[in-house]
Amino acid sequence: MVDTPTPDRTLDTKGMLCPMPIVKLSKAIKELEPRQVILLEATDPGAIPDVAAWSKNTGNPVLAQETVDKVMRFWIQKS
Amino acid sequence: MSRLLYVHTGGVGTPERSATPIYLATTAAAMDVEVGIYFTVNGPTLLKKGVPETLIVPKYDGQGAPLRRFIDQALDMGVKFYVCQPSLDLHGLTQDDLIDGVAMIGGAAFNDMALEADQVICF
Repeated sequence: MVDTPTPDRTLDTKGMLCPMPIVKLSKAIKELEPRQVILLEATDPGAIPDVAAWSKNTGNPVLAQETVDKVMRFWIQKS
Repeated sequence: MSRLLYVHTGGVGTPERSATPIYLATTAAAMDVEVGIYFTVNGPTLLKKGVPETLIVPKYDGQGAPLRRFIDQALDMGVKFYVCQPSLDLHGLTQDDLIDGVAMIGGAAFNDMALEADQVICF
């Protein structure tokens, strides 16, 4: 278990496939205030590179991530 | 803001090719990229009223989804849809035959979009 920030919101995309986790993440982050943190949970096998690419392009940093039993979790801060 | 332009030439005869450019464009929009899809050659046949609801994007197990789902996601995320008149004429279509949310452009406007885009991706 990594040391993780307390999220302001959790977004469960487990079972969803590309592109839905990123689409849902895009919509959810627009509803946050700057510096708030969203916890994204995903099982899409492409989620790790996809979240990294999304973060790079949108400027919203991934503060922490972990994978436990094929569930990937990303703590993402709204920039 | 980065810009991507997709060119979609697949039509109702190749349902397996119908959704990919649309969901890639949706993903680009989710990455805050300004993105459009130019439907040309057979592409406009996908946008004829009634087609998106009945055209099933195939899946190996027979549990495919209607194209409408992918189109609605794209439009909802702000992806712009474009067609031009000659490719409508190819199929006997007019703008009135198309679903809502499709803009008419011409070749010059398309070329200008391509020049302004960071990348043009053709299907």
